Amino acid sequence: MGIGYYLQQLVNGICLGGMYALMSVGYSLVYSIMNFSNFAHGGVIMVGAYVGYYALTALGCPFLIAFLLCGVGSGLLAIVIERLVYNPLRKRHAPSLYFIISAMGASIFLENFVIASIDGTPRNYPAVFANSISIGGLSLGIDSLLMIIVSAAALLILMFIIQKTKIGLAIRACSYNERASTLMGVNGDLVIFTVFLMGGILAGFAGILYGMRFIVKPTIGQVTNKSFVAAVFGGLGSLPGAILGSLLLGIMEIFVASWNSTLRDLFVYALLILVLVVKPSGLMGKVTEDKA
Amino acid sequence: MSWYYIEGILIQSCYTLLIVLGLSILTGYTGMFSFGHAGFVCIGGYVSVICTMAFDLPYAVGLLAGGLVSMILGAGLGRITLRLKGDYFCIATLGVGEAIRLIFNNLQLNWSINGKNFMLDGAKGIASVPLKTTFGISLVIVVIFVIATSFLVNSKHGRCMLAIRENELAAQMSGINTFSYKMLAMCMSALYAGIAGGMLAHYFGYLQPKMFMMTKSTEYTIMVIFGGMGSITGSVVGTVLLCALPELLRAVGDWRLVFYGLAVIVIMIVRPMGLMGGKELRIGYYVNRLTRKLLKKSDPLPGGDEEEEAQ
Amino acid sequence: MKKLVSLACVALMLFSLAAAGGCGKAEDVIKLGWMGSLTGDQAAYGTCESQTLKLLVDEKNAAGGILGKQIQLICYDTKGDAQEAINVAKRLCAQDKVCAIIGPNASGQCIAIQSVLDEYHISDMSTVATNEKVTVQDGVLKEYNFRVCFLDPEQGRIAGSFVYDYLKYTKAAILYDVNDDYGQGLKDNFIKVFEAKGGTIVAEEGYNGGDTDFTSQLTKIKEANPEIIFTPIFYQDFINIHKQARTLGIEVPMLGGDGCASEVLFDAADAVDGSYVINHVSLTDPAGEDFRAKYAGKYNGAKMELNGYMAYDAFLIWCAAVEHAGSDDAEAIAKAYTEVEVEGMTGKIKISPENHNPVGKSGCVERIDGVNKTYIFETKIPTE
Repeated sequence: MGIGYYLQQLVNGICLGGMYALMSVGYSLVYSIMNFSNFAHGGVIMVGAYVGYYALTALGCPFLIAFLLCGVGSGLLAIVIERLVYNPLRKRHAPSLYFIISAMGASIFLENFVIASIDGTPRNYPAVFANSISIGGLSLGIDSLLMIIVSAAALLILMFIIQKTKIGLAIRACSYNERASTLMGVNGDLVIFTVFLMGGILAGFAGILYGMRFIVKPTIGQVTNKSFVAAVFGGLGSLPGAILGSLLLGIMEIFVASWNSTLRDLFVYALLILVLVVKPSGLMGKVTEDKA
Repeated sequence: MSWYYIEGILIQSCYTLLIVLGLSILTGYTGMFSFGHAGFVCIGGYVSVICTMAFDLPYAVGLLAGGLVSMILGAGLGRITLRLKGDYFCIATLGVGEAIRLIFNNLQLNWSINGKNFMLDGAKGIASVPLKTTFGISLVIVVIFVIATSFLVNSKHGRCMLAIRENELAAQMSGINTFSYKMLAMCMSALYAGIAGGMLAHYFGYLQPKMFMMTKSTEYTIMVIFGGMGSITGSVVGTVLLCALPELLRAVGDWRLVFYGLAVIVIMIVRPMGLMGGKELRIGYYVNRLTRKLLKKSDPLPGGDEEEEAQ
Repeated sequence: MKKLVSLACVALMLFSLAAAGGCGKAEDVIKLGWMGSLTGDQAAYGTCESQTLKLLVDEKNAAGGILGKQIQLICYDTKGDAQEAINVAKRLCAQDKVCAIIGPNASGQCIAIQSVLDEYHISDMSTVATNEKVTVQDGVLKEYNFRVCFLDPEQGRIAGSFVYDYLKYTKAAILYDVNDDYGQGLKDNFIKVFEAKGGTIVAEEGYNGGDTDFTSQLTKIKEANPEIIFTPIFYQDFINIHKQARTLGIEVPMLGGDGCASEVLFDAADAVDGSYVINHVSLTDPAGEDFRAKYAGKYNGAKMELNGYMAYDAFLIWCAAVEHAGSDDAEAIAKAYTEVEVEGMTGKIKISPENHNPVGKSGCVERIDGVNKTYIFETKIPTE
């Protein structure tokens, strides 16, 4: 096996990591503000993938429109979930564990709602960019390439919003200390609204890209568990951490799989435990403190 | 309804209750959430099946062995993860639960003991496990554990655990060794789950790693929450209801899991303290009150039931 | 608080009363049970089976029923979970008192419900449970488990001989789901047969069920340069693997087992073009055309999956057994299963009394034609 083989595996890893990144950012965004793991995110991604599927097949939209529709659809869904599920809990200052349970409930609900209302049959996207390009023996699908580009662009825009805009500043402030920043006049509701909207839009993009590359079914929400691991690995609550963690996880997963394909998941979870034990805040995560 | 069918649901409720009781100590009393308890159930199931099938040991020994191995594992796990806080602990347990399942998925063993062949064949699972779990046995086990648990939680140790759940820092300041109590809770819950695993394996007669997916762990945690954190009777009621509910909703078909998810959300919003909300159902109290009412005695009662809801 | 508890108790009692009341009526019907996945990963298979049965039962009832009685079909979801399957089996046997069960659509669930069937002396005719242990375990025949499909070893043998004898390929790679007993069974038997004939397995890669990314394994397989990739998996992974393999520049065909054949494949027609699937019956068999049209007519143009054919045959043999036994007694039906012979969609079905498997079935291998979105019949390979 020559250098080409390893390069190809590296490319595979980056493609996979790019997809994880789009997904894990959603987890991290919500965690950074609300300090809980939003397990309903997987369901939002799944719905996004279905929106994309129907936009491309039933409505016959061009790809770009379908892509935007996915973002809108998932963004709206994320906001609705926040309003209906988390908002009442937030109003009551419920402990974060109630949020997790609710999120689990929402994810069970979304998954089975799709099964009951559509059906459980996996759907395959029509071929949008079926071709692949070959550079020096390396094969790279156009869809994979698109995924990397879209991930990078979306994440850059997101970073820009968070670092350079006023609402971004508010988000950062809230992630440091929500109560203090609301006292300082930051509109907490608006911040949370924005965070869920952004997470949802990214989830929609992740959904359609995922659907193009793989196959859509109601249980893909479970796949997102791995992107959640990536978020933890990078450090929950940190965006660069989530991206770095995703890329590293993607690459490591590919190489572990190429060494022993059946140990791949075991490796992922072992890594998760190891990271939590050695460095609980992940690669770049914020340090959790006891809020007495 | 036929008794055999109901008996099946009751046996399932019994061993699920055992798991939920253990989780109740960990979650309801000590405030640590686990999303990996299916892993402990899996370990318990496999160990007990190996004991009864490969070594021809009695069922009771199998159950105990399953429980003990699971407890040792729980202790080891606790040693490394208990210092993690909140979400991180629950993520770690999620990882452990999945890892255990994946290990059994990849485990291929072949023993020949006393001329008998015993095979652990990865994902294919073990079939023809002797059916030893009867309703009588499970009821006895569960009653013993309910009593033991209520002794534990009503003791000084139980109150220390509650203190940790309410505020770990404050508990530590008051001189409670938080780590050892968390460890105790972890070991107890792993023990319960392990024994329940053995019961499960010998009830179904079939064991497959697939049976212990993460969703199972979530279901157990939901049962604890549903019944009410910090309430033994709550766990009992919650478990029996939630075990029976999917069976009752079977007629609704596809939509039952939709309702299940919805119910979880609604409970969290409307009644997050769960069915019992940290209180216990005291049969003696009600009997007492009823007799007094009948005798038309109107003096006030010393009640343990009327405290404010602990939230 | 107390109110809530008592309310819950009342609700529970009402529910159970309603459930109990529901089964007390209509004595003059013959009850047939079906179980399978209506939710979960394999929902598509289960849905197709139950829909086919509903259609068949309606037809039969319209034509006067069986033994002069109407058939009542009771379908329950197992969520694709062995534990659920046991609950469902108990419910069907003990509460609904069915005379026979058809399904479930996975070997694991069939193996799991055996103890319930034995306790109640009610037989189960499984549709696509191909694992050996479904009907015979450690040399002991399971009295109440039957099936209408061929077995994993036979399917592995069909695959091995198709690749070596028919396609004349000698280098094969394997990609399978390690979490799935179905895939493991097929893989083991394929290797046994293929290597005995003189072929070599150049790469054997696995993945964990639920994985969606196979690029790593495929890159490795590409390096090994096989002539064909044997993929004993289910159709969603089959499509996924094809899409990724074509992207990586792997152009060799793949061979899937009976879990791959599905109408969904044609949604990814470009990718799966030229690959082969093993099947219980040719999905383009003109004999099935009538029924396919009926199925599509009743269910908004839905295409019938393989499971529909198997459910059809299971229903046929059940009808024959009931008529042969002359009653809806569960024991008599179980006994009659091995005594009748029907001409089903997947060929002549005669269940052997020794192992409760159908004898003399053959497997069809079909090539997927992505351009015309159809299957092209390649060859028929007998199981023995």
